Amino acid sequence: MTLTLAHSGSYPRIGDSAELQLLRRTIAGFDRGERSAADLAEAENQMTRLAIEEQAAAGLDVVTDGQIRWNDPVSYLAGKLAGVRINGLLRLYDTNFYFRQPVIESRLQRQGELAVSDLQFAREALAAACKGKPGSRQVKPVLTGPYTLAHLSLAQAEELKALEPRVEAYAEALAAEIGALADAGAETVQIDEPSILLHPGDWQIFARAVGRLSAARDEARKRGRKIGLLLYVYFHDCAPIYSKLAALPIDGLGLDFTYNRKLADAVVESGSPIPLALGLVDGRNTKLEQPAEVAREISRMLPRIAGDSAWLGPSCGLEYLPRDRARAKLQLLGEIRSAVEGR
Amino acid sequence: MNRQKLKKLGLELPLFPVTSVGSFPKTDAVVRARGEFRRGKINAEQLTEIEREATAFWIRKQEELGIDVLVDGEQYRGDMVAYFAERLPGFTNGGLVRSYGNRYYHKPIVTGEVKWTEPLTVEWWRYAQGLTKKPVKGMLTGPYTIMDWSFNEHYPDRKATCMALAGVIRSEVEALIATGCKIIQVDEPALSVRPEELPVAIEAMHRVTDGLNAYFITHACYGAFDLIYPGMLELPVDNFDLEMSNSGLDLLELFRRHRFTKDISFGVVDVHSHVLEEPATVRQRVEQALTVVPKDQLWIDPDCGLKTRTVEEAIAKLRRCVEAAKAFRN
Ligand SMILES: [Zn+2]
Repeated sequence: MTLTLAHSGSYPRIGDSAELQLLRRTIAGFDRGERSAADLAEAENQMTRLAIEEQAAAGLDVVTDGQIRWNDPVSYLAGKLAGVRINGLLRLYDTNFYFRQPVIESRLQRQGELAVSDLQFAREALAAACKGKPGSRQVKPVLTGPYTLAHLSLAQAEELKALEPRVEAYAEALAAEIGALADAGAETVQIDEPSILLHPGDWQIFARAVGRLSAARDEARKRGRKIGLLLYVYFHDCAPIYSKLAALPIDGLGLDFTYNRKLADAVVESGSPIPLALGLVDGRNTKLEQPAEVAREISRMLPRIAGDSAWLGPSCGLEYLPRDRARAKLQLLGEIRSAVEGR
Repeated sequence: MNRQKLKKLGLELPLFPVTSVGSFPKTDAVVRARGEFRRGKINAEQLTEIEREATAFWIRKQEELGIDVLVDGEQYRGDMVAYFAERLPGFTNGGLVRSYGNRYYHKPIVTGEVKWTEPLTVEWWRYAQGLTKKPVKGMLTGPYTIMDWSFNEHYPDRKATCMALAGVIRSEVEALIATGCKIIQVDEPALSVRPEELPVAIEAMHRVTDGLNAYFITHACYGAFDLIYPGMLELPVDNFDLEMSNSGLDLLELFRRHRFTKDISFGVVDVHSHVLEEPATVRQRVEQALTVVPKDQLWIDPDCGLKTRTVEEAIAKLRRCVEAAKAFRN
């Protein structure tokens, strides 16, 4: 039985101290024309290093770059693709956070890497944070999935006005990125698909897109790469489509347990044919969970999960919390694991 | 329309009453004073004095424009949830979280039992109402929205938090009524964020308004109303104040499928745009509104609070509302 501590995505890009306001101040200065693009990049680098240091210090085995460079989960990736213009603000699901909506104007196409250079930077930062000895620790790149990107985009291009071709176009671009990440040495890649929980009626379209991504994974493996595909869903109740999600051709499934307390029952009842990432620590609320209570839930589920192996992490990215609470949630992960292991 | 209720409250409003959603832009004097207050150059009383002058300015402006149901303009409020959270026992100020781009705010945390110990808005209402003979609305943020926009570390779940806040808001409503306020708006912009929780928002609003003698309005915006309509009509209020124009009036389609049963404050100007609507555009929107609700049920106002516009833009947009109402009264 193994429980690996893994972050699920974003991390606060700000804190209360002056030092932690670096990026905010630099962006404001950049907008006023007082700071250069190089200043901005360095501020992003610095806050990314800090996000990785805090994850490493909390003992996480799998870290992300905190998505510090991401304006939001949608426009960061979509904005790098050809054929896309970034439009006005829209609320992101039931959060109080707003993303910029992509408008697809012409043929949507990947014109360069999306997350490879971010991965390379994060790896170096992780090595530095671990004094050159990252051991088995790894950086996990995160991509918003094709269904969610398509769902949150508008299309002016006639051929992409229907949802399905839009999903396919994004899937094609992301499939290429998965290959590139595999070639760059990523061991896993996390694909976020929160939208499917709200629109389960689109299952066929969604599942075909996941199939396209897993085909890209298979091709990379044929080239001798190691890559595993993890699908993360959150921001709504996962229980109604849990069994279908767990049957997808993926290597791990990340679940948000905060919307329905009965999700753990569903996992115990149906079991899981693939490893699960257990989002039992609420990434949306500051209240700190009781380690013993969470440990009980994990102990109930672990024997029912393939390979007795699971990741433990927050229910979603931690950007929705103030930094001190985000850090406390990361610390909590280690305490929960100790409680599970009976230490 | 709940004309009867209004009449019983002693309020005779014209056809197509014109109102506004709540906030107006801070006047230059208030913006300056808030900066000076933050830097410690003026004290709280001096700031309040400037906010009172700005409130008087907006009351005068609304009267000049011919608006029927006035608001105090919220010159003294920042964020619509923080204003209440900062004043209520049970809340702690949280650290910074991002709302979008490079914008951050302090999200409140419920860390103890929330309690109403003293009026939060009554003095401002009394002051504003004292400046005019027209009715001034009492303006509150609803329990569901305060819950949704705060962290909770005290109550077992979202519903318990929401119901506790409903008790607090009810006390404030009672205090406003006791002071003579007859039209009270309880804003629920978060109403549609979790459609499955609509029953919670409705139950909370019952706790806020049941058995109390006032005309109640609720404002909601940027919503996925298609997911909560017609269920949202169960909310125990007399009037829904809705953002209509920003979305190209697409809510009308819903109202055609299922009759809109309440009074409506129909947003006829977009508050997110600098562009001033042509009078004809606004009149067309009113005409469209009249295809789904009888004229007795229709109020006219901007989509949402005008605080993000300039003072001049806000006044120009309000004028459009009044012009349209007058055109249809004749
Ligand atoms: Zn609004």
